[in-house]
Amino acid sequence: MSSLLLAVALLWPLVVAGSTVWCAYQVPAHQRNYVSMLWVSAAWPALLLAYVGEFQWTINAWMLGGYWELNALSRPWLAFTALLWSIAAFHARGYFAGEQRQAQAGDANAQRRLQRLTLFWPLTLLGNLLLIIAQDIASFYLGFALMTFAAYALVVHNGSPAATLGAKAYLVLAVIGEGLILGGFLWAAGTSDTLTLKGVRDTLASADHGVWMALLLWLGLGVKAGVIGLHVWLPLAHPVAPAPASAVLSGAMIKAGLLGWLNVLPLGAQGLSPEMTQLGNIILVAGFAAAFGAALYGVWQQHPKAVLAYSSISQMGMLTALVGVGLVTPSVWATLLPAVILFAGHHALAKGALFMGTSVSEHMPKWPSPLLFLLIALPGISLTGALAAGMFSKWGVKHALYEFEQERIILLLTWAAIGTAALVTACVWRQWQQRHQGGSDSFQWGAWLVALLAALVTPLWLPLPEASVIAPPLKEWVGIIWPFPVGVLSVVVLMLALRRSAISPPPSGDLWWVYSPVAIICISTARSVAGLCGKGKATSVALALKSERAVMGGLLRGLQAEAWMRQHGGGLMMALAVLLALLLMWEGL
Amino acid sequence: MISSINTMESGLAVCLLVIAIACLFDRHLLRACWLLILFALLMSVAWWYLNAPWLALVEVVLGGVLTGGSFLYALRNLPSQRSPIVRYDHTQVGWSHRITRVLLTVAWSLMLGVAIQFLLPDMALSLTEHPLILAAVVIVSVGMGAFALHRHLLRRLMAFNVLGSGVFLMLAGMADTRPSSQALISVGLVIAWLGSLLGVLLIRRLVEQEGSVALDGEQSSTRLPS
Amino acid sequence: MMWRFGLYDPSFDPLWMTHWALAGALLLPIMAGLLGAIFRPSRALPVVLACMPILVAGVLMVIDYQQAGLLRWQWVIGDIEFTLRFSGLSALMLLITQWTAAAVAMYTPGYLRLTYPDLNNRWIWPLMGLLVSALSLIWLAADLLTLYAALEIMGLAAVGMLLLSGKPAALKAGMRYLLLALVGSLAFLLGIALLLSQWGSLNLAVLVELVEQEPITWVAAALMGAGLALKAALFPLHGWLTPVHENAWTPVSALHAALVIKASLYILILLWSILLPETLLAPRLIAWLGMLAIVWGGLVAWRADSLKTLIASSTVGQLGYLMVAFPLLLGPGIAPLPLALAWDGFWLHLMGHALAKAAMFMAAGNLIIATGESSLNALAGTSRRLPLSLLIFGIASVTLMGLPPSAGFTAKWLLLQSMVLTQQWVAVAALMAGTLLTAAYVFRVFRYSFDETAPRHDYQPLAPGMDLIALCLAVAALALGLLAHLPLALLHGGGA
Repeated sequence: MSSLLLAVALLWPLVVAGSTVWCAYQVPAHQRNYVSMLWVSAAWPALLLAYVGEFQWTINAWMLGGYWELNALSRPWLAFTALLWSIAAFHARGYFAGEQRQAQAGDANAQRRLQRLTLFWPLTLLGNLLLIIAQDIASFYLGFALMTFAAYALVVHNGSPAATLGAKAYLVLAVIGEGLILGGFLWAAGTSDTLTLKGVRDTLASADHGVWMALLLWLGLGVKAGVIGLHVWLPLAHPVAPAPASAVLSGAMIKAGLLGWLNVLPLGAQGLSPEMTQLGNIILVAGFAAAFGAALYGVWQQHPKAVLAYSSISQMGMLTALVGVGLVTPSVWATLLPAVILFAGHHALAKGALFMGTSVSEHMPKWPSPLLFLLIALPGISLTGALAAGMFSKWGVKHALYEFEQERIILLLTWAAIGTAALVTACVWRQWQQRHQGGSDSFQWGAWLVALLAALVTPLWLPLPEASVIAPPLKEWVGIIWPFPVGVLSVVVLMLALRRSAISPPPSGDLWWVYSPVAIICISTARSVAGLCGKGKATSVALALKSERAVMGGLLRGLQAEAWMRQHGGGLMMALAVLLALLLMWEGL
Repeated sequence: MISSINTMESGLAVCLLVIAIACLFDRHLLRACWLLILFALLMSVAWWYLNAPWLALVEVVLGGVLTGGSFLYALRNLPSQRSPIVRYDHTQVGWSHRITRVLLTVAWSLMLGVAIQFLLPDMALSLTEHPLILAAVVIVSVGMGAFALHRHLLRRLMAFNVLGSGVFLMLAGMADTRPSSQALISVGLVIAWLGSLLGVLLIRRLVEQEGSVALDGEQSSTRLPS
Repeated sequence: MMWRFGLYDPSFDPLWMTHWALAGALLLPIMAGLLGAIFRPSRALPVVLACMPILVAGVLMVIDYQQAGLLRWQWVIGDIEFTLRFSGLSALMLLITQWTAAAVAMYTPGYLRLTYPDLNNRWIWPLMGLLVSALSLIWLAADLLTLYAALEIMGLAAVGMLLLSGKPAALKAGMRYLLLALVGSLAFLLGIALLLSQWGSLNLAVLVELVEQEPITWVAAALMGAGLALKAALFPLHGWLTPVHENAWTPVSALHAALVIKASLYILILLWSILLPETLLAPRLIAWLGMLAIVWGGLVAWRADSLKTLIASSTVGQLGYLMVAFPLLLGPGIAPLPLALAWDGFWLHLMGHALAKAAMFMAAGNLIIATGESSLNALAGTSRRLPLSLLIFGIASVTLMGLPPSAGFTAKWLLLQSMVLTQQWVAVAALMAGTLLTAAYVFRVFRYSFDETAPRHDYQPLAPGMDLIALCLAVAALALGLLAHLPLALLHGGGA
């Protein structure tokens, strides 16, 4: 039963992708329904699978031997991922309604764009699902790569120069990340002859150069998870992607990197080498740097989705820091893991709801504005920990850290929450500034409301282990809630203070604008070196040809001796006889 | 007795030598041809003298009549109207060519001389002890040298004939006219005649096809291998 | 060394049947040739029928040899003694002669029908018969008179055959060859004269006993060496070879390159083994010339413009391999192992080259007939239209290049081993260079043939069997490498 469901869950997105291709060839353009209910249903079997229970599958015929698992980690992961994909698909049905009308009216550009998006959406989903359930390297890597490269089509969707830039940044970093991941996996797999992720984790913990493999994998997966320095694609890609695509990018796919870390890094393992602990410290510092840096940079952004992208970097920075804690103080990990899962799940839905909210604010339904913007802000407030599921998730983390007396981390996390609150405020503020009436669709706001609701009640539906969700005691409420008003206030104060000044906002994508000139300089240098090499080659070829001509000329002249020998056969025979006689006499006498 | 034999033999040797050299180096082909016939007749005298009457007969028939006839046939019937001076060899060779041939000729005669000195110890005492052999050595060397020197095909063929006679004479002189050497000489004579005949026929065909230029042999056929 | 040539007393007299086989092997070719001149066969079948008794005679002789060991015939006519010996080496050479010549003879009718149908081409048959008889006699002869006579008959028959094409270039080349061959024989005869006058015998077995190292022997050896080197086209006396092969009929070139020049080489190595068994420098000189020959032949072939020139020049280079083996066979104090290896390698290479070169000439002849031109440029596009002929050329080239599993490889391997054992590193280097050069000129041919820029559409169709015969020879050369133990066993049988 479960196997059948697994097969359906994985094949259904393929069927959906196939159906879009079939439609493209069989259905006339004016009748074509790109975002049909079939298309929306792509993630449903996977969602069902997540609630069936925990299972293991071993499929020897699959590549190098498939080993898939639904366990305490992958099952909730699958649940929130599939849920978010489902809701985002509904949202997309509304979001793309206008574009679909254009396409049906005969706009070839819109047809092409929608065709591309609807084909690659289920493929991206398939990759995401596969990497969650995969426990062997090949499947995980296949899923990861499929998701990464198929998502390019989602980012580049609207084809504007900004979208092209975002997609380019996304692709460049994705390729770098894939390279690093592959390197790490091959090194680890080659070192200990293992094909499973668990084997990789053990190798990283025990092998001589384990820390380097871990570094490779951390950085490679970190591209997806937005580790500081490698995060630059997020603020470039998110604002330009369609809202549902941004929702899954930021909610589900960004978590794939985190899941990869949880799967391969030796978190919570005892007796780690000092180097590994050092790597943990680096991860910790990088995480908090991302958490604070993104908040400080993000509040200045104009585009609400760019603000949200920085919020994602900030949130992922906190999760990165928690992963670092798992390496530095392994004992805390067992308690921390469910909290991390809850954090991730809650963030996924909340961020999904926030991204969908940006599209709602652009096409406001005829609701009272205050109510609408309250609803838009709600998931953000929850994210800061001041409300509902956010509180549970914050407390879960704090609780685990309290138990192992990690007050410093808690303090930093609390401060980071101020940053979260500030970013949410900035986001809502920007949305208010850029709000727009009309063009709303019931699927659009309906899906948004569902996402909102799901985010607020995350602990209720997320299949976490028993008793891992603890309600915060009342006396801690203040400690959890206070960063929210502080963050809101700081933004309000800042905005009022700087209202008159003419500080131009910093461009989104921050370090990208450092990287790209450096890369361009490197490329042009390489190009000129290559030009020099080409010139050198041309010269040496010309030289070789010249010398060849000279040698061949000499050879041909030398070969005229053949004619000489032909002419002097008799004389040569006489000479040979004399020579032989002389040699024989000389030797004999 | 001995002195009379020596006179006879010496005279024969001198005649052979002179005629051979004249034949080899006469540019007038018809005259050279008659000299070759004369040389063959003298050779048969030498065979008679060396107590090989059958060989003398074979020499007259093969060397004199048939080979000489072949050469005359080639010369008499050459289509001279195409090039009126075809009976005269105008080919010029370079000095370095000549000098190397002379040196090689000297080297050959020395080489053969050394061999004969060991073979017939009495030659070491007096060179004139066996004048026929001495003449044969010189004829062989000069014949070989002339063969290597000349470019004209007919003259090379004549040089080959003279050379062959010299070799036979040396063979007979050194190894007596025992049956096996007579057999060798007979085979050699037959071969020499067949070779000459073939050569003469070839020369005629060549002249028919290409004119007398073809007779300059090597000169006109020094095509490059590539 | 002498037992290898069969110069010892045999244990048994030949059987009566063997006499008939001998007569058949020596005389039947001439008779078959005369029949050919009368009937002028235009198909391969009558030729096969005519060849059959000759081949049977040869096989019968070999069977007798395997049963009785060395066979010897002696006749005294007048006071002149004629001696024939049939040793393992003779057996091998006789077989290779008869079978190669049979293949060439079967190839000939088709060739003549396609190229020279009107010409008076009947003379090729008696000349071919005479040539095969003379060659057989050379392999068997054990006295200098027979050897001389057979060599001369072979030489004249060869010249006659080479002249048959009648082109002016062929006539000129033939004239040069005739003159040089005759003079070379005279040098050989002069050597014989010296030996006869000093030792008083023409019988090789007697000479082996009598010969001592003294100036007469040396001068005789030098004269014979020079004369035979001229006839065998050893470098640098090979100048006459290329034009002769270039202008002769294909079957004649094949026969000449495969067998005729090998006969002179055979006599050379035979006589020098008798006269100079312990000498060092003269074989070394030949070996050095051989190394030059390998490089020179390869270079000339590499730059050749015409297909037949290429093959003829390659013969010069391939003879170089045999020349390089001289100091391994002759010389003071050669250890038995390298000597045996070099001996095997020498004859194996000689046989492999005979088969491969005949096949190569035939393949080239087919290509030339089909394209109507003899230049390499004319080969453009043949890879598509004449793949079989090219394939045969390629298989034959495998042997020439010495790639496994061909006879060329096995032979070179044996020679290399011997050279390494005797530490002749220069020769090893020359062998390697020769292989590279061979590859260079062979692949040059293929480069032209795979050129598709000038596709031709008018190809003369070949007579049936012309490719097949060449293919058989080429494959035989290849198989000789795999089955090298069979001929080598025959070669070693003389010592049993």
